[in-house]
Amino acid sequence: MIFLFIGLPLVVAALLPLIGKVSKKIAPDVLANAVFLGLLVLALTSGRQLIASGPVLLRLDWLGEPVGITAAVDGFSLFMLMAVSLVTLCVGLFSVDYMDHYGAKANYYALLLMMMAGMNGLLLSSDLFNVYVFLEVAAIASYALVAFGLEHDELEASFKYLMLSVISSAAILISIAVIFGMTGGLSFSSVALALRDLEAGPAVGVCAALFIMGFGLKAALIPFHAWLPDAHPSAPASISAILSGLLIKVSGVYALARIFFNVFGLTPALSEIMMWLGAVSIVVAALLALGQRDMKRMLAYSSISQVGYVVLGLGIGTPLGIAGGLFHLLNHAVGKGLLFLNSGSVQMATGTRDLDEMGGLAKRMPVTAATNLVGSLSIAGVPPLAGFWSKLLIIMGLVQARHWPLAVIAVLASVLTLWYYLLIQRKAFFGKLEARWANVKEAPFWMTASTVILALLSIGLGLFFSAVIKTWVQPASDALTGGIRVALASWGF
Amino acid sequence: MNSTWFVYLGFAAALLVVGLYALLTMKNMIKLFIGIEVISKAISLVLLSTGFAKKNILLAQSLVITFIVIEVSLVATALALIINITRRTKSLDVRKLTKLRG
Amino acid sequence: MTGQILLLSGLVFFSILAILAKDLIRSAVSLAVASLFLGIIFFRMGAPYAGVFEISVVAGLITVLFILTIALTKADGDVRESKLAPIIFPLVFIAFVVIDVLVMKSLLHKIPAVPGTAESGSFGDVLWKQRTADLVGQLAVILAGVFSVLALFRKRDKDE
Repeated sequence: MIFLFIGLPLVVAALLPLIGKVSKKIAPDVLANAVFLGLLVLALTSGRQLIASGPVLLRLDWLGEPVGITAAVDGFSLFMLMAVSLVTLCVGLFSVDYMDHYGAKANYYALLLMMMAGMNGLLLSSDLFNVYVFLEVAAIASYALVAFGLEHDELEASFKYLMLSVISSAAILISIAVIFGMTGGLSFSSVALALRDLEAGPAVGVCAALFIMGFGLKAALIPFHAWLPDAHPSAPASISAILSGLLIKVSGVYALARIFFNVFGLTPALSEIMMWLGAVSIVVAALLALGQRDMKRMLAYSSISQVGYVVLGLGIGTPLGIAGGLFHLLNHAVGKGLLFLNSGSVQMATGTRDLDEMGGLAKRMPVTAATNLVGSLSIAGVPPLAGFWSKLLIIMGLVQARHWPLAVIAVLASVLTLWYYLLIQRKAFFGKLEARWANVKEAPFWMTASTVILALLSIGLGLFFSAVIKTWVQPASDALTGGIRVALASWGF
Repeated sequence: MNSTWFVYLGFAAALLVVGLYALLTMKNMIKLFIGIEVISKAISLVLLSTGFAKKNILLAQSLVITFIVIEVSLVATALALIINITRRTKSLDVRKLTKLRG
Repeated sequence: MTGQILLLSGLVFFSILAILAKDLIRSAVSLAVASLFLGIIFFRMGAPYAGVFEISVVAGLITVLFILTIALTKADGDVRESKLAPIIFPLVFIAFVVIDVLVMKSLLHKIPAVPGTAESGSFGDVLWKQRTADLVGQLAVILAGVFSVLALFRKRDKDE
């Protein structure tokens, strides 16, 4: 059943070009969103039962014969699967209206499904090289999706993104090869076992550094972030949402966390590095966000900053910090997805992304303005919205572990975050309605519907934060704090 | 790890440097791609020679073959991007791609 | 081993040629020759499947794609590369090679390793049974590539 997460998007994507010849818009819309909805339901319902007694390694059986495909499921991968399905569904719904003027919907959904298949494959993988393979699947789909509109800006952004990604792939593969050389294995369990017995400090350190370079680039951590401020604004808004909301977290943060926590084991050195990497990203990106005029560029820098929070939280290594980091991952995926989708609505209505040209749009686009406010406040960390709780957990984790300077940084950066988000809100939505926007209309149904869903989620996750943390975040956090034991005990066989 | 592994690694490192040099300094987009190709050769060499040193040559071959398949897909996408870019800028010069600030 | 070292040197040499050549077609051909060398190196390591793949796919298919692209992008004027490059690069490269050799020699025996276990089964066993998940990944990556190219080369509709 769990293999549907990879198999279903793959099969539907393969069929979409044929279906697209028959029905250009309706069938692709319906099919793709049905897949997204189905996988979300699957993640919400059947997942928790599977891992009730701890992480499992499931084997695929084809007609009674075991096939060599395994899926490693635990709290962390399930949590991510849920987040991926959720945000992808909303992006898919948004695309029903938004992608109308781009054309080639069947092709677009096929690529979106492939990206999802790649992300899900990465999440369920228990083998280092396999993680890389699915990472590339999602990446190749994303290059085409960023360039989808075929305008100059999009092509340029996609090209630069591709170039930098190649370097990250090289770093990751070299590290995998050295690990293979040391341990003779590629699966999480065999590598964890071998590394525990070998006393390979410096060599593992080099591998860890290469992984930080490779996955850090995918996660757009400073100083590996250069591609993101160009790629996310130029891409179609729905793709910006899924890139910022999901891809940088799945192929960057998840992979790094998985390897550092469950395969290498989190050492104090790794913990320090992760925390400071996170902190630098938080501060530098927030400062850079302030100087932007392009709405989506500001959001892009904000993504770098918030991913910094996630990495900071995970880096603390304590249950509180990890829980905070993971909860923030979910909140940011929902919130930033929401904000980017809204930017698409605004761009479609006004034709511009320049904040100085906008003004007073709230009068003509009330729903968009409202949902934007919710998303902004959530990520900035205003109670009782979701982001407040996740940031609070991270700060509490820092205080508990006596990292006073980092705690102060986290709090101050939060203020900065609030500032630039209110800037967006004020410049674009509030204030006097510029004359040329007098005839602007609210966004079409599916676009507003999807953003309303995400906004309600931000509120809901905030109001019911303790329930959410108990059922979803806690198992994920346990999987990480379990450390190497998870890889050795539950997944080794 | 025996010394032959390090010989292979040494050559792979040289290849890597050649490829990185191309990526960092070349201004022709197609030359940038050749840089990527050279880096890919270095990676294939590292993967296979590691497997060779561990007497796991069959596993290493699977990895290299999978990697080459990924490389083809990547190159196809990249070249499609380049062709599209030249249709717009009428040039292969990467210096023309400066509309977006970093 | 000396045969391999010669072949490896050839590989590096043709790669450098591919980068520094002014004519793009010459670059593509140099790259193909380099791939040929790498394929032979793979054969001599006892990796015939990888060798065949490298030669047919990288020296073959990718070179064809390159030459196709070069033909399709006949630009008005060549791209002027930096004049200093062909002078600086050999110096930097030689310096790097020296550092490379020294580093590799010092790393000798410094990387701890679990002794390798012998492999069982044939190549088919390993590829199809052990790395099945990679095969799914290969299928996915090919699909992704196909869709990407289709997306990037599509005809623009009237309403775009």
